[in-house]
Amino acid sequence: MSRHQVRVLVVLALAAYPALYHLLTQSPVGVEAETLLPRMDTMVALLYFGLFAVSFDFISGYTGYLSFGHAAFYGTGAYFVVLVANGKIPLVPSGTPFMITLLCAGLVAALLAVGIGLVSFRLSGVYFAMITLGFAQVLYVFVRGLEWISSNPRDGASVSGSTHPEGFEVGVPFVDGLNLAIGPLSGDTVTLLGHTLGTNAVSFYLVGAVVLACYLAMQRIIHSPFGQVMVAIRDNEERAEAIGYDTFRYKMGAFVTSGFFAGVAGGLFAGFRRSVTPENTFYFLVTGDALLASIIGGFGTLAGPIFGHFFDESIREFLSPAGQGGGLLPYLQTRLSEGVLSAEVGGLTVEGFIEAALNGHASLYVGIVFVLFVLYVPNGLVGAARDRLGGPVTEKLPDRLWDR
Amino acid sequence: MLRTHGLTKNFGGLTAVDDVDFDLGEELCSLIGPNGAGKTTFFDLLTGALEPTAGTIELQVDGEWVDVTDDTTAETATMGLHRSYQITNVFPSASVLENVRVAAQAHGEHAATFWRRADDYGAYIDEARAILERVGLDERAEDVAGNLSHGASRQLEVAIALAGDPDVLLLDEPNAGVSSESVDDIIGLIEDVAEDHAVLLVEHNMDIVMEVSDRVVVLNQGSVIADGPPGAVRDDPAVQQAYLGGYEAGDLAGADTTGDGTGDGAGEGLT
Repeated sequence: MSRHQVRVLVVLALAAYPALYHLLTQSPVGVEAETLLPRMDTMVALLYFGLFAVSFDFISGYTGYLSFGHAAFYGTGAYFVVLVANGKIPLVPSGTPFMITLLCAGLVAALLAVGIGLVSFRLSGVYFAMITLGFAQVLYVFVRGLEWISSNPRDGASVSGSTHPEGFEVGVPFVDGLNLAIGPLSGDTVTLLGHTLGTNAVSFYLVGAVVLACYLAMQRIIHSPFGQVMVAIRDNEERAEAIGYDTFRYKMGAFVTSGFFAGVAGGLFAGFRRSVTPENTFYFLVTGDALLASIIGGFGTLAGPIFGHFFDESIREFLSPAGQGGGLLPYLQTRLSEGVLSAEVGGLTVEGFIEAALNGHASLYVGIVFVLFVLYVPNGLVGAARDRLGGPVTEKLPDRLWDR
Repeated sequence: MLRTHGLTKNFGGLTAVDDVDFDLGEELCSLIGPNGAGKTTFFDLLTGALEPTAGTIELQVDGEWVDVTDDTTAETATMGLHRSYQITNVFPSASVLENVRVAAQAHGEHAATFWRRADDYGAYIDEARAILERVGLDERAEDVAGNLSHGASRQLEVAIALAGDPDVLLLDEPNAGVSSESVDDIIGLIEDVAEDHAVLLVEHNMDIVMEVSDRVVVLNQGSVIADGPPGAVRDDPAVQQAYLGGYEAGDLAGADTTGDGTGDGAGEGLT
């Protein structure tokens, strides 16, 4: 059972995070903790976007077909949830339980994947990447201009307070007692043993449960005979065909599965944020972030993108511009004494230097980190650990730790 | 087991395979010919990797003749026609065992199962281990295929083809580039495999061809120029002409991998 030990530990560590964050930020090192640790709402974003990155890696890292238009599925899931809530989708009324809407969001994205896949899998390599990117960008432009979506589609759409004022509930559909709402404002709070969990902490657990279920499903597929064929296709598609696999069907199956989970991830995002824009759903940089997460975390390792995204987001928040929560900049500005801040070195005050170096340049540093990873850790965090341990981390790490 | 009628393949103005009528029974048949004679193209046509310009290919499946002319590689493989490659063509990042296991899994009913772990299907693993033992790779089962020596890669090539549970096995130069010590192992393997499969073998080493074959077919510039038992083919003047430009019969037995200087420059690079 050693295979499960590492996974259980990771899940437990994540589950303990809200309590840990709460305790540390209330402690004497609270300011430092706030500077270093991601905020709770960042952690929720990390989960749903992590799921999207995993779904991207599922097709790109395991079959070797880079799905550069993966944002199309994420966007489809996200818009679907908002449009359902606003009563714009026939057959799925505004009051539909969120869990069912989420499932439908995944299915609609999967259906889109069938269409895109049927055309795109005629190609391979960089041409496949380009044509999927093309599809996603067409959808991006289309969504920006479609006035049916909202009065100002360029700015996206929000869940309307008049049709769907309550939060989106995660839980067992139709059983009121087993549902809790997610969202920073519209979510539920829970009081447990005298402690109150805030909306973000509750959302963290609920979104986390859905993400965990999706992750385990993908994990199972990767280790199934079907998943082994996906890996065989990545390794040598010609030979996979020659030993009797109709590779087109396997690629389609993998692509559609991946599209489904990307749709669910988008649905969770929309359910949590209650508003979507073309830029944070369909735009190609959304796929870019998933690619970044996959490369930092480890391409072709299913858990890698989650860690990669965690890494990416932590750096971004640590270096976030002024006025956006904890981070290095406000920390230095409040902690350094007036004398240090106003000291001049070579015609530049320390304060001015900090401002110039840190304010709003997170992307620059993330870019540098990305380049360093590609150069020195090409297999990513999890991939490098796997190489070092000589096998899958979940299998080899417990041996290394406990059995010697 | 396998037959072709009028099989032809043109690449632009070049006819690589020219109107070939061929019939493979339950035997070990060697396909020989100078470089560029069209042997590998012929293999590619048989398995469906290339589409013929004209002609038909039929495969015997459970005693019935089935037209497989327009079938893909995956389809012919499912029907029992498997091949090995002249240039090693394996799954380099997977283990040796996994290479064979994934091939064994292809002809089972669980190939596309996605809800159970692959490890749960012990039958494919046992099958793969048995095949590795047969080809002499059982001790290398856990090695990564990409790290194998050339000789071991050639054995793995045959192992993957065997794992598909073929009725007809096409072996494309299983000896290519193998050191002289290992050649005997591969000859033993070919003879062993021919016990229970119909085998079509492309081979340049005439010593091996004469030793193992039941029958020899000679291809030159895309056409069959001789077909018969090894001895008769060796003495055929047309074959000597094609191979050696008219040298003495005795020299042919010693001619090995090159078959050089035979004026087939037009087809160079096709195999």
